[in-house]
Amino acid sequence: MSRSVLLSALLLGGIAATFGGPDALAQANGNGRALAPGVKVEVAPAPGSGPAPAAGKLDESALRYYARIGDGERLEAEIARLRALDPGWEPPKDLFAPQPAAAGVDESPFWTLLSAGKVAEARAAIAEQRRKSPAWQPSEKLLQELDLAESAGRIRSASDTKRWQDVVDAATANPEAVACNRLDNAWRLAEAYAELKQADRAFETYKTIVTTCPKAKERRDTLFKASRYLGPDRLRELAALGATANPATGEDYSTVRAAEAELETGRLLERLGNAKPGALSAADLSRVQGIIRDKQDADGAIALGWYFQKQKNYAEAQSWFSQANGWAPSDKAAEGLVLAYNGLGEKAQARAAAEPWKGKSSRIDQALKAVDPPRGPSGPGGGRSAPQGPSELDRALARHDFAGCIAIIRSSIERSGPTAVLLQQRGWCLLELKRPSEAEAAFVEAQALAAREPAPKPAKGGASATGKGSDRNPAASGLPQTPTPAQENAYGQAIARLTTGDVTGLTRDLPRANLTPTQKAEIRASLMATEAGRALEDKRYHDVLRLLDARRELEPEPRNLGILRGWALYNLMRYDEAYVQFKSIDDRLSTEDSREGVSTAWKTIYHDW
Amino acid sequence: MPETSMVGTARRAALWAALAAATLLTSGCAGWVRDNLTQSPTPWRRIQPAALPVTLGESRDFAIVAARMRDTGTIYKTYNVALGNPTTLPGENRLTIDVQTLPDSLFGALVQPPRVFPVPLYTMETLTVTTRREFPDMKVKVADAARRNRYGDYDYATAQDEQNSCVLAWQLINDHKRVLPERIEAVRVEYRVCSVGSNIRALLAPFDGMTLTLPETILDAQDLGGM
Repeated sequence: MSRSVLLSALLLGGIAATFGGPDALAQANGNGRALAPGVKVEVAPAPGSGPAPAAGKLDESALRYYARIGDGERLEAEIARLRALDPGWEPPKDLFAPQPAAAGVDESPFWTLLSAGKVAEARAAIAEQRRKSPAWQPSEKLLQELDLAESAGRIRSASDTKRWQDVVDAATANPEAVACNRLDNAWRLAEAYAELKQADRAFETYKTIVTTCPKAKERRDTLFKASRYLGPDRLRELAALGATANPATGEDYSTVRAAEAELETGRLLERLGNAKPGALSAADLSRVQGIIRDKQDADGAIALGWYFQKQKNYAEAQSWFSQANGWAPSDKAAEGLVLAYNGLGEKAQARAAAEPWKGKSSRIDQALKAVDPPRGPSGPGGGRSAPQGPSELDRALARHDFAGCIAIIRSSIERSGPTAVLLQQRGWCLLELKRPSEAEAAFVEAQALAAREPAPKPAKGGASATGKGSDRNPAASGLPQTPTPAQENAYGQAIARLTTGDVTGLTRDLPRANLTPTQKAEIRASLMATEAGRALEDKRYHDVLRLLDARRELEPEPRNLGILRGWALYNLMRYDEAYVQFKSIDDRLSTEDSREGVSTAWKTIYHDW
Repeated sequence: MPETSMVGTARRAALWAALAAATLLTSGCAGWVRDNLTQSPTPWRRIQPAALPVTLGESRDFAIVAARMRDTGTIYKTYNVALGNPTTLPGENRLTIDVQTLPDSLFGALVQPPRVFPVPLYTMETLTVTTRREFPDMKVKVADAARRNRYGDYDYATAQDEQNSCVLAWQLINDHKRVLPERIEAVRVEYRVCSVGSNIRALLAPFDGMTLTLPETILDAQDLGGM
């Protein structure tokens, strides 16, 4: 009966160590036995049950109640508990047979209230019943369950309001409230330890969970929870224990190892995104490459591509961007590919890679400027009349060196004066450096200068170079419209305004803005996404869905907005739809956010808190 | 008779209740907004630099590029001033001012938005997170001693690399005895600038010379300590 092992006793061990010192721990561990290296498990009766009663004297009221309402899981747990108290006890054969009304008082209404989480109402009903029948005493089990429910409530409420020490105190007062069948509370206790900077105790709590709670899913979820607080080494240790300790029949613990691998991949990819060239060890790099290949993870391949691109290892970068584009064609992958080919000096290939997205994606149009810089006065960033290889500015852009871009443009302007093209490029680089106010000013200046410069030939796609537009709208005929320089500047200004949070002003000005239909749709979609985020903060959940639905008509919904949609559905109490939404996102790529959504919706639907 | 009149009174009361409910349901009061959205921050709106409640000490490097403001309830007004940035470092140079006024009605006093800035303004933990975010890859040092401008003491941290220097200065003005008028509960000011070179004093000069020009009288702190 290893399942009768109580997690609470173990957690109590930890708490006792906190408050009672080593002696208290030793006392609590009196019945301990080692089940896996480094794991000591307690076999303890449920707190409050006192010494094992004589056979035939066990309180079976809860057992009969669970049988009557058909709660198989709790029934099983109760049978296990009673067997732990009296190994000779057998469940009554008439457990599922209808029972004649017991002499005295029927406790069912109190159990029903308790099951619905109405603890105060249950207490009040019991008090009322005792007033009517002073001789009647509620069963010991009912009182225990009430105490337990109250403790669990205290833990939840303290944890929700981040009163971490109160969480620990409440768990100490009733350790059974943090047992496997109340796993959420056990997680909250571990979180409280972590928040109180008691990392060892947090780890011990997680360790106890993954070694005693039998279900593989619970162990896997515990690993994900722990990943917020524990470093890779401890997570690995936790995964190893969770995959091997105290196995239960029929459970597949390989999911625990898979979860650890998933976390490791996430960590490596995150490091890859932030890493300076050469920052990843050869072993880590080879590992992450293997994982990305196995999972055919296009986003991961793009991250790898940029990692190599920053190292100026253009060949390797080109190979990963190509791989990403093969797995899931996107303008992000194509952008990298264009710049990698450009770095290799293969301009024709770069143009070919850009072709499917040209005029449709601003990032591709920007990348193409590194391949074929717009004409302007001669100089490092000003374009050339004959091919001379990538300019200093092109190289900076290909490296994503935006500080370099600003410096080069500044010296070029100091040397030869400003041009509309240079100022516009400065705007894009400032945006990349998260300096949107200056970026907007640069686009405004570029626009003013462009109006004074001689107009270039009409751009491909038919729009006039002055940006006033021709009578015939190429977009209407289904052809992608190449933005004019004026439209590029207006687009840059709009992006900068979005970044500074000028949502109201931009919404007002957008209908009159000189943008291509594609650009306008993109900005409108971004505005709706921003507004949807605000609506969620304001708890206007119907508005969130309304805005996201409208946005989805313009562009496919990205993951983050999908998660937002899930929470709006959840808060509208459309739990089933929220679960389906989170699950569909999680099935494609599982992240901490998607897992939290799935788990919260699932628990709400099945009252599994 | 008394019994009849009791029944009559009860019927009239029930009728009034039903009427009141029907009136509410038909007068547009049947729906309501779950939370009081008037307490949420409004979106940012642009303002002219002249409309800002502050002037900074003269600086060629840190000219005002853009200014915006937003309200949170009727209590808070937040102003954000983007300043010029002569470096190639990421992040905007800026001055942020949060003005907390006292509510002007009983309802305003009862329904207040959450505070838009924390007090204490920083802990070592939150300061570390902020400086890491503001000045990535730079060497950061928190100044041991506070400095003083017109409105009292302020604290600051510096960040440096080979070519550039930055400062982050923060100040909570809550001196009601001398500086603040009765209507203003507190003013939080935060100033973040980077420039080329290593002259920290020059970076702080605009903040030292800052003058708040809120519509109500704000006085200088008494002892300007060698300003």
